[in-house]
Amino acid sequence: MHITGWTVALAALGVIPAALTQSRAVAWAWILGVVALALIDAWLAAPPSWVGVRRDAPGSVRLTQSTHATLLVANVGRRRVRGAVRDAWQPSAGASGERHAFALRPGESETFRTALHPTRRGDRHAGPVTVRTVGPLRLAGRQRSFDVPARLRVLPEFASRRHLPSRLVRLREIDGRTAVRLKGAGSEFDSLREYVVGDDVRAIDWRGTARRGEVVVRTYRPERDRRVVIALDSARLSAARVGDAPRLDASIEAALLLAALAAHAGDRVQATAFDRAEQARAASTGSRIVAPLAEALATVEPSLLEPDWPALVRLVESRVSQRSLVVLLTTVDTSAMDSGLIEAVAALQRKHQVLVGSVEDPELGLMVTGRADADALYDAGAASRAMLEREAVATRLRQLGAEVVTALPDDLAPAVCDRYLALKAAGRL
Amino acid sequence: MTATALRTAPSGPGLRARARGGRLGIVALVLLLGLVAMLVLGSRPGDYVPLSTENSTPSGTRAIAQILRGHGVDVRQVDTLARAAVREPASTTVVIANAALLTGGQVRSLVDYPGDLVLLGESGAALAPLGIDATEEAVVVPRTVAAACDDPDAVAAGTARVDVLGLAADGPGATLCFPQRGGTAAFGRAERDGRTVTAIASASLLTNAQLDAAGHAALAARSLGRHPELVWYVADGFDPSLLTWAGSGSGEVPGEIDATPDFFPPGTGSAFYALALTALIAAVWRARRFGALVSEPLPVVVRASEATRGRARLYRRARATGRAAASLRAAAALRMGRRLGVSRTDGRDALVRAVARAAGRSEADVDRLLYGDAPPHDAALLTLISELDALESEVHRP
Repeated sequence: MHITGWTVALAALGVIPAALTQSRAVAWAWILGVVALALIDAWLAAPPSWVGVRRDAPGSVRLTQSTHATLLVANVGRRRVRGAVRDAWQPSAGASGERHAFALRPGESETFRTALHPTRRGDRHAGPVTVRTVGPLRLAGRQRSFDVPARLRVLPEFASRRHLPSRLVRLREIDGRTAVRLKGAGSEFDSLREYVVGDDVRAIDWRGTARRGEVVVRTYRPERDRRVVIALDSARLSAARVGDAPRLDASIEAALLLAALAAHAGDRVQATAFDRAEQARAASTGSRIVAPLAEALATVEPSLLEPDWPALVRLVESRVSQRSLVVLLTTVDTSAMDSGLIEAVAALQRKHQVLVGSVEDPELGLMVTGRADADALYDAGAASRAMLEREAVATRLRQLGAEVVTALPDDLAPAVCDRYLALKAAGRL
Repeated sequence: MTATALRTAPSGPGLRARARGGRLGIVALVLLLGLVAMLVLGSRPGDYVPLSTENSTPSGTRAIAQILRGHGVDVRQVDTLARAAVREPASTTVVIANAALLTGGQVRSLVDYPGDLVLLGESGAALAPLGIDATEEAVVVPRTVAAACDDPDAVAAGTARVDVLGLAADGPGATLCFPQRGGTAAFGRAERDGRTVTAIASASLLTNAQLDAAGHAALAARSLGRHPELVWYVADGFDPSLLTWAGSGSGEVPGEIDATPDFFPPGTGSAFYALALTALIAAVWRARRFGALVSEPLPVVVRASEATRGRARLYRRARATGRAAASLRAAAALRMGRRLGVSRTDGRDALVRAVARAAGRSEADVDRLLYGDAPPHDAALLTLISELDALESEVHRP
């Protein structure tokens, strides 16, 4: 049961008879009369179970983009139904205009749209649908809520995709260069073609020349079909906020950009998010990787656990048998000393090439340069100490042969990709 | 769009749920009624006014009022003199406590009143006009004394305690009883114009605390219980109204006096009452939600720099200038070494030499800045770091 604003207006009219008769009893009588009318109206209102509802949500939407959910409302009763429905969603689904008024004859239906502008990555669930019907006097009516499950998957924003075109150009540059370059590290034999003036004479394939009767040269192209394993650390340290978003979000951006780039370069990409167990995984099929990876990473949330690095090593060993590029997107800081990160990198580096990507905190950078007063100097001292400790860990990792990239959240994705391209050009994949 | 079936609301809670809801409703109703009853009973203000017949504390007079009621006297306490509305002055006793607080007009209305009067406690300027030629004096040492007069009530009582106030005669107009050695008496009585005015200056003998002592009960019962009706008034200085009785003013017994002044047009009160009821309805209207709030688990918010900030606070609290300086020096050395191509493993001398050459300074100066003593206080730390920054900017100069 609910009452409408009309009931209040009608009750307010009771001021007139109360003032004219100067009697409180009249005021009471008026109010009780209004309440009785409202009760009768609610009793006369159509039962909410006469209203059938179907909810449709778009499967997924990229963060920062808008979409809409549809709600079909049908009258399955025997009389005309007037009322309203509320299409409730979780707050960070960003629903606006979720109340819809309707007036339907028996058998009629109407479709409403609720605009959704999600503000957070992950699965957003719909709340219950609430149906209100009003009686013939529009004073009061009945109300009931019931569950109509629906889900909106909010994919990572992938803001770093703006860096992709420039990295693809660089990839093609490597490609183009190697066509005229000697066979060497980072390239593999592609095909034979006729010699044209300007080709390096050292590229002439004498055996082919002898067989074909004309001078042919070998061409090379960058290595293809390498394996890239991206591992995102979704444990304790990834929950900390850097700027406005958790560290994990910067890692996800980096993973998406690297996966897109590597898929274009013809490498096979696998990705996993883990803390003590695997949280999500995706693997490229052909060159499709970004969509399944975004889908898989959409629901990964940071957990407040210590990462299990030995388990990650076992996981990688079980997934790839060949030499691969293992990209660990984690946090390099002093806790890596005892969490097992260094041992894990050492174990992986024995067979694979390891690239460690770490998100830097811009706030630490500000603290390091603070000179306002003595307190700022203590801040600067503490931040410098943290930086030195991180540097020591990074140095230790580099000594093991791993590549270490630390960058601000927005720069991590391009920095990791640049390092990937450098490794590829150097043939270290 | 998927072609899922329409969903409708369940048609209502089952019988069992309804019964449970009903039981809950009954429990809630009982609790509510209990609460209301408690509030109503608890909110009845206790009467702590001395000499009031509703006051059951030692300073009140509820005991004597109950005794008189037990003997068929209709005891009625009024909160304004006007409400006394005595019907038959001949068969009514009017008791005025603290008559000293009455205004001149009120005292004159008492003088005009034809029936019996009893004054309790301090009566001040009201004594003389009512025919009791005595002044009040404070009693320093309370004492129980004998009647020492021929007033029948006093004689019947025998003894009484003179306390707080006494009466000292300054004329022949009144009989004073229970005098102390100094002459101050507890009780005075004057007969004039066919009525009796009694003053009990030591009013404490009527209180619940002392009623059972000496001859107090007898004195009180005989003084107050002469007539079948008793009107009791405790003056408080705020009531300006005059004593009313059949024959006063227009000759009629006045009814209730409406003391509320009329600032607003008639009907305003009831209009506001209706508005207040409307506000209740509006509250019900707004209180009903259109469906419940939808909950959502949110991630924790921990800033990544929390740990570093904590460490900075520790440095600050301990005034650890040495540690802060060492960190800043090491960081600066690392940056400059990287710039100049000096590896960390090359050692202190190689770095100092390279930096000195790049900045054009003496090696001793550079060594002091990078590896010198720890600054002893904040000011030294500030100086050292500004010098270090200057050195670094010289090294990083293009």
